[in-house]
Formats: sequence, C-alpha cells, structure tokens
Amino acid sequence: MTKVLNVPLGSQHVALLEPVSFKLTTKNERVVEVTADVGYVHRGIEKACETKFKFKQIPFVVSRVCGLCSITHATTSTLAIEKLLNLEVPKKAKYLRILALELDRIHSHMLCLAHTAENAGYEALFMRILRDREHVMELQEILTGNRVHFDYVCIGGVNRDFDNDLNSTFEKYLKIFENFTTEIKELFLNNWSLSLKYKGVGAISADRALEQSLAGPLIRACGLKIDVRSEFDFLPYSELDFNIITSDGGDVYGRNMVRLDEIFESIRLIRAVINNLPEGDIQTKVKGNPDGEAIVRLEAPRGELFYYIKGSKKPNLDRVRIKTPTFTNIPSMIDMLKNQEYANVPAIIASFDPCLSCTAK
Amino acid sequence: MIQGMINSFCNLFKKSATIDFPNEQMKISKNYRGLINHSDSDCIWCDVCEKVCPPGAILFLQNMDGSKKYNYNPYLCIYCGECVRNCPKPNEALWQEENIAFSSSSKKEVQDDWFSLEDECKIARVKYKEHKESLKKSQKVEQPLS
Repeated sequence: MTKVLNVPLGSQHVALLEPVSFKLTTKNERVVEVTADVGYVHRGIEKACETKFKFKQIPFVVSRVCGLCSITHATTSTLAIEKLLNLEVPKKAKYLRILALELDRIHSHMLCLAHTAENAGYEALFMRILRDREHVMELQEILTGNRVHFDYVCIGGVNRDFDNDLNSTFEKYLKIFENFTTEIKELFLNNWSLSLKYKGVGAISADRALEQSLAGPLIRACGLKIDVRSEFDFLPYSELDFNIITSDGGDVYGRNMVRLDEIFESIRLIRAVINNLPEGDIQTKVKGNPDGEAIVRLEAPRGELFYYIKGSKKPNLDRVRIKTPTFTNIPSMIDMLKNQEYANVPAIIASFDPCLSCTAK
Repeated sequence: MIQGMINSFCNLFKKSATIDFPNEQMKISKNYRGLINHSDSDCIWCDVCEKVCPPGAILFLQNMDGSKKYNYNPYLCIYCGECVRNCPKPNEALWQEENIAFSSSSKKEVQDDWFSLEDECKIARVKYKEHKESLKKSQKVEQPLS
C-alpha cells in the first residue's frame, strides 16, 4: 500500500541553511513532486541601485547582497562599470583582486563542506571546519580591514595596497590552510558517513547537467570542464596557470571532492599572485559617467555570476540586473530531489550550497 | 578505536579554540576599519564625505551664521572608509580608527532621531540659501543709494 504525504520543508527549518521553502509530495518516504519558493528575503537592491545610489557607490551596495561572496558581487559590478567608462586598471590591482576573490572562495567552500558534514550527522566535524575557517577570516581581515564586508574593490582599482611585510604573514597562514585542508580531505575520503554514504546520492548525468545549465562546482563534479575563470580575460587568471578542477559521478561526494580540490587550487593561486605581484599603482582616476550597456560574468564560489549594467551619461545607472548562480541551479535542484529518499533531501540541498539572499536580493 | 581514545583523551587537555570574551578581548588586526573621527579645526567644510558616503552616515547641519555642524551615525556607518579616501585632508580632518561601535540596548544611544535630523539638514540648507539670496538682494538695493 502506498501512502502519499505532503511535507513542507522551510521556510524555517533546522536542516535548512537559508529561508527557502519546498513543498514535497512523498510516496512511501520517496519524493515524487517538488515545488520551491525562493523569494523570502527580497530587499529590492536592484531598484535601490537605479534610484538611490550613484554609480560610484554601487560596489558598496551590491556587496551587501551576500555575506559570503560579497567581494565577487563588488568585483563583477566594478568590472562592468569600468567597461562602460573604458578604464584601464593597473595590473597590480588586477592581481590583488584575484587574491581577494580566491580567499573568499576558500572560506565559502569551507562553510559548504561544514554544512554537508553537519547534514551527515557529523556535528563535531562541522565545528572543526568552522574553527579552521576562522583563520581564513583572520587573513581576510589583515588584507582588507574587515572580516565579511571587505569593500576592497573600487572603481579604478583596489582600496588598499599589499605591503611587502604581509608576505611572511600570508605564507604562515597558507601553510595552516594547507594542513587543515589535507586533514579535512582525509576525513571526507575515508570516513564512512561522509564518503560511502554520499556516493550516488543526488547524482546527475553530464548530459542532464548541460541541459539544465548547472553552474560552478556542481557541473565540474559531473566531469565537465566549465569555469568562467578560463573563458574571460577581465582578470589575468591565464597568467597564473589556472587549472579547472573536475571530479566524476555528479553526486554529493563528487561535489565535496571538487570543493576540497578547489581550496588547494585557490591556495596555489594565492601563492602565485604573491610571487608574481607586479609593481605599480593600485588605482586609476575615474572620469566621466558610464554610458551604454555592459555584461560581465565572473566565477563566484557557487558558479557563474552575471551582471548587466546600463547607463546613460548620468551619475545614476539606468538598470542593474544581477543573476546569481543559485538562481540558475534551482530547477536542477528540484529535478534532482525527485525519486530520492526523504532523508537525503537536506544533504542534497546542502550540497548545492544555496545562497538565497543572493537569489532574492 | 585505540587511536580515537588517545585523540579524545588528548583533546581534554587542549587549549580552547574560543575566546573567553568579557575577560579576554577580541584580537583586532592592524589597520582594522573602525569608527570615523572628525576634527573641527582642520576641516575645510567641503562636504565631500557627506556626498560620497554610501549609507549617508555623515550629515552637515547648516547654521544661519554660515558655520556647519558635523554629525556622524556609527550605527548607520558601513565602515567602508570611502569618506577618508575622498577627503582632501585625510588623517587630519577625517580619519578612521581601529575601534568599532558597541551595540546598545537603548534606542537613544543608537541615534534614533537620525532621520528627523536628515530632514532638518535639508530644510536648514534651503533656508540658508534663501537667507543668502535675500542678503545679496538687499546689498544690491543698497549699492545704488550709496
């Protein structure tokens, strides 16, 4: 006998990280139908960018869209405005932007891994990863002056110079990062509740992932080499021998592995930036107002972040459109939850690393 | 299992990872972005900081005698430091210190009347402009007589 149950999950729930609401229809503990609502934290930031703020203030406003990838939002909007102003940014500023972006990626991935561990019932590992993540936050504070909202990127360059005496501090911290990431990776590889339990859970094939245009670590976990960092030259990633990390399987385990390996890749990129840091200015002067339309894509920790900016020679912009990676991933999340056991649902949602404050903005 | 027992026994004597907060202060790194300070004697009253501030946490109240009063709301401030970077006399007229504002339990301390002050500043500016224009007119009327 089959018993059909409607289970609401969210908008507030102990296993959920963000305010998102799912309505699940289950048949004998197996999910058959899913609907999602993502608009719980709408704050009207796009509209505020068009009416209330001048274009020079936009990077500060959009960095408040999300606490985890604030630097990515600020950098993408800055790149778009610089494109409209035809500004040539000094090379040192470009390198420093990569430095801040990669540090941000490390701490965002660590938070996701911590939540995945928590959803496997491994509370102690959650605490441990968050303890180690604190070191990354400290390093960000040393570099930019704040733990969460960096306000490091500005139109024309970056706000703070990288002193040479920071070299030794960075080297010290990067060694700490490497040690704890190695330890965590060992746990994720060998621990039963993290490796075997997650193999095959929430799997998606490469064809299906392409069809549904998944983004970020999720599509790289399917074995596809798709990364915005290798497609554009807004930031000099190609000069730093950037590699795309992939894994196979397309399941929760594969995504964890991609995230862990990306932390190592980010550490390597940070080392490369510090060793190859060019001399020179960190800022150029801004003249005029933005005119025309610009589209910029950048790889956020969760996937491809998209900005569309339109200006017409006025201090206020005409249109700011933000499309976040989680928004792209929601349809495939719904698709993936079908035919899964109900107990696996929180783990699959956590493996997507959803950022709803980004999505609803 | 034995290794696990040894690990958990060692963990008993490890130093705690958290900070014993009221007794031990939080470690704040050098050049942390904190409160904004202002010096009345060094300021040239150009109002640039007010114009560039993203949340509008700096307000200048115009007095009728031409002087201005600096107002700052640390609870609206986002500590981005944009005002200091744009100041014509940075580190003299306007500078950023390493301490941040503490949370407060009373409404008065968090500058509850800030938004009425915003309106007050706008009205004061319009009034001062009118006052200046009327002064100019009266001067023009006086000139041909003398």
